[in-house]
Amino acid sequence: MPAPGEAAQPRLAPTVAAGGALPAPSLRHAPGDPLENFNRRMFKVHQSLDRHILRPAAMGYRDAVPKPVRSGLRHFFSNLGEPIVFANFVLQVKPKSAIRTVVRFLINSTIGLGGTIDVAKGKAFELPHKPNGLGDTLGFYGVKPGPYLFLPLLGPSDLRDFVGGQADGLLLPLAVGAPFDRLEYQIPKAVLTGLDLRAEVDADLHALLDSALDPYATLRSVYLQDRAGEIAELKGKSANTELPGDSEEPEVPGAATSPSPPAAPELQDPLADPAVSSPKPGEAAPEPVKADPVPSAKGPAAPAQR
Amino acid sequence: MRYLLPLAALLAPVAVAAQVADPARATVQALDDGLLAIMKAGKAAGVAGRTARIAPVVDRAFDIPLMTRLVVGPSWNGIDPGDQTALVAAFRRMTIAQYAKNFDSWSGESFTIAPQVESRSGDKLVRTTLTGSGAPVAISYRLRQSGGQWKIIDVFYKNSISQLATRRADFAAVLASGGAKALIAHLEQLASKTGA
Repeated sequence: MPAPGEAAQPRLAPTVAAGGALPAPSLRHAPGDPLENFNRRMFKVHQSLDRHILRPAAMGYRDAVPKPVRSGLRHFFSNLGEPIVFANFVLQVKPKSAIRTVVRFLINSTIGLGGTIDVAKGKAFELPHKPNGLGDTLGFYGVKPGPYLFLPLLGPSDLRDFVGGQADGLLLPLAVGAPFDRLEYQIPKAVLTGLDLRAEVDADLHALLDSALDPYATLRSVYLQDRAGEIAELKGKSANTELPGDSEEPEVPGAATSPSPPAAPELQDPLADPAVSSPKPGEAAPEPVKADPVPSAKGPAAPAQR
Repeated sequence: MRYLLPLAALLAPVAVAAQVADPARATVQALDDGLLAIMKAGKAAGVAGRTARIAPVVDRAFDIPLMTRLVVGPSWNGIDPGDQTALVAAFRRMTIAQYAKNFDSWSGESFTIAPQVESRSGDKLVRTTLTGSGAPVAISYRLRQSGGQWKIIDVFYKNSISQLATRRADFAAVLASGGAKALIAHLEQLASKTGA
């Protein structure tokens, strides 16, 4: 997908060079990211590992292993995660979704040949996988995400979701024991699911980060918005009613009880035009304020562009 | 104002009919048609060919100047007019380039536009679903009226990921460290990186 004409870089100052590594902003951290300096360093480490090891290995995995085998393994490990999904629906007091998860797990574990084929998703059952974890449950009960966290190989997270994910990972080893508590299981699982996930998201990740000036901040923003949207949907606040697999559980404690969808979250932010809401209170000037004749005096003079 | 009530009742069927042909919905329809067209034109058209086709569609569908101001935020008013114009132009070019780059092949994808249009304090929300090989993806568009036309000012992926919010985060560090001129340079570089 990368277009061939990428030769236009040298005309820009070195700080503008590709790779997206911006000079660490001297101002303090962005909202929700108190560990920004640490995270940016970890992001850099990750990008380097990704370029040299993770992505090549994932692409090799994708090319060497036939598609049915890859999807079979993906479904197999995902199916073994359904007990975690179930447990969290129980914790969220969503009995319908919990039961659906059990039925899905039973169908796929039997007809689906040990989980390798996702038959439950199909037309006959219409029980698609619904991601859920302790991070979601904590969010559902009002726990805020806490500091954003980016860790090499683990990718974007936040304190709540990271802790939740670790706890989720303990469920099978503690409840079932062998083989889930053995490194002989844990390591191949981590490697296979990691390579598969990296290969699957490659095109999207490339499109997202390649279109960004500051890939770190872009990924953070997308991750945090995505998680906020998922938690809102669990709480039943999403106005997304037409897609299958929505929150339709009215028994949610403390959630919006109105059956009609509340105002779309997409319209909540007033998005006032800065050029119209002029900072000068006296004049109702519809035109942008064109006051500052020396805008470049604001920061370090822009490094010689072209 | 009381006389308005029976009138409104009389007009109700008309209002329902009008909703189907909502102008905001038509804007989104035009964008989706344009995107499908360049997807189908595909690699054969080249980036330049797709750019040429999608540019007028983007210009009609999006309020690029307002989106640029919203992404930059309050510091917009401190930017001198020449740079403001350059920023809008660079943002436009980047938006077009990225559509041309990312919508480069068609393998049976289709867009469905929800019949109902939601509105709140003057803005409208049009929901669409992109159906392709994988799970359907929700994409919604927020529109605002400008010069008698409904134009897109934000795009939401999965009903929660705002393009404006993402861009604001993306641009913040450059704006803070290098100001408008650095942002213009970066945006132009980004647009030309796609080969458009």
